[in-house]
Amino acid sequence: MKFIERLTTIDRRIIYLVLAIVVLIPLISRSPERVRVMPPVEKLYNAVDTIPKDKVLIIDFGYAPQDMPELEPMGFALLRHAFEKRIKVLALCLYVQPLGLAQKALTEVTEEFNSVAQTNADSIIYGRDYVFLGWQPPPLIPMLGMGISITNVYPGDYYGNKTDTLPLMKYVKNYNDVALLVSLSAGSIPRSWVAYAQNRFGVAVAAGVTAVSAADFYQYYQTGQFTGLMTGMKGAAEYEELVETRLNIKKSRKASEALPSLTYGHLVMIAFIIIGNIGYFVQRKRRQK
Amino acid sequence: MKRTFPLFLVFIFGILGIIPFIIPHPIVQNLDESIRNDILKILVAFALVLGLGSLLKVHMDKIKRKRENWQYSWILIISFLVSSIIGLFGGVAGAGPLPTSIGSFHFDIQTLYENIFMPLGATMFALLAFYMASASYRAFRARSFEATLLLITAFIIMIGIIPLGDKISPHLPSFAQWIMTVPNVAGQRGILLGVALGIIATSLKIILGIERSWLGGGE
Amino acid sequence: MSISLSPWIWISALLSLAVFSFLYKDNPFYRFAEHLFIGVANGYAVTFYYHNILVPTLFDPLFRQGKLLYIIPFIIGILYFTRFIPKISWLVRIPIGITIGYYVGASIPATTQAFIIKQIQGTVLTSTNFQAWNAGSWGIVWSVIVFIGVLCSLSYFYFSKEHKGVLGVTSRIGIVFIMIGFGAAFGYTVMARISLLIGRLQFLLGDWLGII
Repeated sequence: MKFIERLTTIDRRIIYLVLAIVVLIPLISRSPERVRVMPPVEKLYNAVDTIPKDKVLIIDFGYAPQDMPELEPMGFALLRHAFEKRIKVLALCLYVQPLGLAQKALTEVTEEFNSVAQTNADSIIYGRDYVFLGWQPPPLIPMLGMGISITNVYPGDYYGNKTDTLPLMKYVKNYNDVALLVSLSAGSIPRSWVAYAQNRFGVAVAAGVTAVSAADFYQYYQTGQFTGLMTGMKGAAEYEELVETRLNIKKSRKASEALPSLTYGHLVMIAFIIIGNIGYFVQRKRRQK
Repeated sequence: MKRTFPLFLVFIFGILGIIPFIIPHPIVQNLDESIRNDILKILVAFALVLGLGSLLKVHMDKIKRKRENWQYSWILIISFLVSSIIGLFGGVAGAGPLPTSIGSFHFDIQTLYENIFMPLGATMFALLAFYMASASYRAFRARSFEATLLLITAFIIMIGIIPLGDKISPHLPSFAQWIMTVPNVAGQRGILLGVALGIIATSLKIILGIERSWLGGGE
Repeated sequence: MSISLSPWIWISALLSLAVFSFLYKDNPFYRFAEHLFIGVANGYAVTFYYHNILVPTLFDPLFRQGKLLYIIPFIIGILYFTRFIPKISWLVRIPIGITIGYYVGASIPATTQAFIIKQIQGTVLTSTNFQAWNAGSWGIVWSVIVFIGVLCSLSYFYFSKEHKGVLGVTSRIGIVFIMIGFGAAFGYTVMARISLLIGRLQFLLGDWLGII
């Protein structure tokens, strides 16, 4: 009985320590784990893959440092996919905090491609292959404004260039030239893209969301308002899997490498909840007696 | 005047917000674009300054009155000033008049972001993993039918979404996916419809001047 | 790989450890990190506020392109600061009124269309919805479950009548669906939180210590 009582009063620091250890150890092996790709991610992949040459992909980098581990791998995988297929990309942020992470993703993925590029045509060139529009608050302004004119909403890009001087922006006027908009967000922004941009201008929207808000977003996937959906680190790992297996791009896969730790983390959480409940039921029975 | 005029403005701009969704005529659309790009965008720019001003005021006040932990407010103000100067004069991509590197050591705004803002923000939220483990262990009890159902669903999802679930049975990830797309959607949609109706009702009340709390106190 | 020699990586790592130290208890290292975070975050915001917003949105049109009409929104914007002058503080209601008015106005048709009409369309029992599941004849069953679930969940939130009789049954079924939804959300939240911890450990073990 004393043992069971002890089970119900484990010190919080022991819980912290156990969790830290089980998450830490599998990371050291650094072996990406394979995942089965689920339909919402596959649909997103296919939607990106079939973007015609004369249309662009908009990526709304909506993740701040606190959402980075879940959403950054999605951003990297999407950019690798788009750049590999030579799909033109417009990147933007609706808030200030994600700007630096968007810049980081764009710089690093561009560098990956340019380090092996032989010719100018092989390279990923700013202004020709992608444009970083930067930050324009409040979110409603770009969401509605890009339906009329993207350069009117963003007269200058992230770096301070005039957007109407960039080659890509010569033929990208508004949502009519956008095949898909992917919102990587930790909040309700993908929903707003649907409500404003899609509802009024008919642009196709897909989302990559943090696991915390995953349950809220499936209803938009079910209605077809989202073309595809990635949820949390698992969703990111699924997209990484597709990029590696279908495009043969073998690069660092942070989400897939994290899956073994995630597995043990989940098991420990389940174990702690079960232990807590065993203690609770034993004590309740004793009280009833 | 002090209350009626702002209420009148809310009404007018509320209607101007609704109309473009209903009338696709170019005149309406262009007017709408003009409201957003030429008025709202600029107003928001001022609102942001206001927010920042309030934050600095709170901390200056803390220092002045020597409130508890006031010394740390200096750290906030100094780090704010230093990063602002580097960002404003060093430029977005280090192209401003202020040099942002000494030899191979860079200190441009992106470097500060990646090496100060990013690790701090990410780590603060990483703490939540520990708090959640501890709180679930202490508070997550199968006290009732509803709580048990919640717990079982959570377990199925937790196992179903990790690769181990696929190894136990290939049906497990599919079942987890089914929970998300069928019963979860039904439950969440019930909540969403209620919330959406609430948003519409509140919006109408604001436009019609029934809900006036945004006016704040005073005359 | 070996331990990093970059001063910035060391700064990042030490700041991360300073925040982790809060797990033991509140301490000066954590408080230092916390205030530094807010300071740098706002300095960063000011940077882009100037370069990405003020320059292209206001300064360029007003001073370079000579669009003098921009003076009007400029003046309305300045009214935000009357908040600090008690005698004319009511003027702050003008920019707020314009912004709120447009926002709530636009939200009415958007919410109605995207969150009510489309969601109801996805709920009703139609052959399009049955086929959308890509599950053969099971699609009918899934659609029926969603249909019943939504109606019952809605009935749970109907408080104008006591939950007895038919309403008692439907609200009881409704709570089952809602609890499954919450359970799913909790399961995913666990993944989210552990992911954040993994992200930090990947940095500490990889970029800093060079172990992975």
